[in-house]
Amino acid sequence: MTERTLTGTGATPRSGVGTVVWYSPDADLPDPDEATADPDTERRRFEDARETARSELEAERERTAERVGDQEAEVFDAHLQFLADPQIEDGVEGALEDGLPAEHAVQRAFADPIEQFEGMDGRTAERADDLRDVRDRLVRILVGGDRVDLGDLPEGSVVLAERLTPSDTAQLDPDRVAGFATATGGRTSHAAIFARSLALPAVVGVGDDLHDVDEGATVVVDGEGGELVVEPSDERREAAHETHDVEIREEAVTTADGAEIEVAANVGQPAELEGAKARGADGVGLYRTEFLFLDRETPPDEDEQYETYLEALETFPDGRVVVRTLDIGGDKQIPYLELPEEENPFLGERGIRRSLGPDADLFETQLRALLRAAADGDGRLAVMFPLVATPEELTAALETVDAVADALEDEGVDYAIPELGVMIETPGAVFTAPELAERVDFLSIGTNDLTQYVMAAARENERVAELRDPRHPAVLRAVARAVEAAHERDAWIGMCGEMAGDPELTELLVGLGLDELSMSAVTVPDVKAAVEATRTDEAAELASAALEAATGAQVTERIESTTPDQ
Amino acid sequence: MSSERTVTIVPEAGLHARPAAKFVETVNEHDSDVRIGYGDDEPISAGSMIAVTSLGAESGEDVRLIADGPDEEAALDALERVLTTPEDELADAEG
Repeated sequence: MTERTLTGTGATPRSGVGTVVWYSPDADLPDPDEATADPDTERRRFEDARETARSELEAERERTAERVGDQEAEVFDAHLQFLADPQIEDGVEGALEDGLPAEHAVQRAFADPIEQFEGMDGRTAERADDLRDVRDRLVRILVGGDRVDLGDLPEGSVVLAERLTPSDTAQLDPDRVAGFATATGGRTSHAAIFARSLALPAVVGVGDDLHDVDEGATVVVDGEGGELVVEPSDERREAAHETHDVEIREEAVTTADGAEIEVAANVGQPAELEGAKARGADGVGLYRTEFLFLDRETPPDEDEQYETYLEALETFPDGRVVVRTLDIGGDKQIPYLELPEEENPFLGERGIRRSLGPDADLFETQLRALLRAAADGDGRLAVMFPLVATPEELTAALETVDAVADALEDEGVDYAIPELGVMIETPGAVFTAPELAERVDFLSIGTNDLTQYVMAAARENERVAELRDPRHPAVLRAVARAVEAAHERDAWIGMCGEMAGDPELTELLVGLGLDELSMSAVTVPDVKAAVEATRTDEAAELASAALEAATGAQVTERIESTTPDQ
Repeated sequence: MSSERTVTIVPEAGLHARPAAKFVETVNEHDSDVRIGYGDDEPISAGSMIAVTSLGAESGEDVRLIADGPDEEAALDALERVLTTPEDELADAEG
């Protein structure tokens, strides 16, 4: 076999070697040769398959209820009812009478209802996916092929899939899996973020070529270079094993001259908390709460949210947990909120704009849960508002916090006011940072959005990718401005974008004056090591040189000329 | 002889997913033939998840339930309970 390289987007700066296991929930079906199957035989096959599907669904419902929650398990109830539907039974029976084999009868019987659902509005249309799931399950059972159990893979498996959903990744055991690659998805897709949080080698967005890779093939997943190497040469395999082993430091670190820099993790769902702790994160610098609202029919209630926030505080008994209030809109959709289609969603109603507008109820419920959790958090819980552009928005958000506190007080419910902060992601927030910092405990710079808005270059648009350079003086000067505003008003300031997780930039960021850096858990050890290698006086010099640079290239040059060889 | 009842849907998800599944399950637990009417359309069989989901009935909207058979009153009582129980309690009720 000769080596073959497929390219995609690297999700994690890690490489791994392993054996391909295909995970394909959608079974492929060859065309029927001719319609001459015996209806009685095929009917028995169908009934057996349906029985198997029923036990599978019941087992998965149990497991999901245990591992994830009752709400998430509910989808299986709907699947069980679709499985038993008389309309499907009739459709299958008709097709069997026509002499079709059972698997094709199933395909035919589901075709009409799927089309019918797709033609309808809103929630019914989403149910088409449930029908497809049930159909594919039956077909898979009929044509053979065991469903791969992601929770029980042989050690050293590399999972290949069209896509991995949150429920798929939740099952992956990072100790047994050597990595994964998906045909779809980008750096910020769910699967990619999940991989980073567990330091799992992963390449996403490989495209259709991925499907040419055979089950059982040996592959290198190069999450740094964004390559999937099939039947790698010996040299390539060796290179993949040379992971740069950076020591994991569980304790807080300081610069070489003793300045404390908090190094925290960005977390997108509870399953990532333990991984973040294991990588030595001091706490959570960005807890995205969208997962609470995704993949379900109705929003989570106050108690469910309260428990979730407590879990984070308990995982980091000495660390700070910064929770970002719901940040939807833009590219993040939630079906039951019926978000309007917008011409420019990134410049539209998202983040705090929705929380102060159509999602005011959700915002209030979330704040109630957060204030209750703060009562149990010994002052370690912090809450920040996303996409603030003006001091007026902050005023309205703080008024909501006060109103929620008053209501809890009246009800005699235990609560505390957490540390409150604002995300600096818009030019509006940069220019009003003094007014914002005056009224909160901290600021946190979201560099992915800040860069997109400062440069007017959309996050998902590859044609303007070059402009989205967080090292450009245009972005660095915005960062410096926010830091100055925060420190003049005794607020602390952190950074929670991709930029914060790049160890090459740690010295620069320390020099710019950031007190906290928060990143995907995978690079926490690298950044901690970079902090310890930094001297604040040298860092400050580098920062002022970078701020005086005119171009991104000059900034890079200055960083490289001062960075010791690593 | 048949019995008929108009019920307003309480669960936030409307007649989809979990509430719909529970509804169809309840229909099939009874011996009576149950049909469901929504808007001006002809009532359809309530024992099919596909049929019930395809109505697209949302929370706060009315549906007509028509039951015909030996346990028609009991069936209507049970179905009314399903349609008027908020979702979180629906889950709790099952344990």
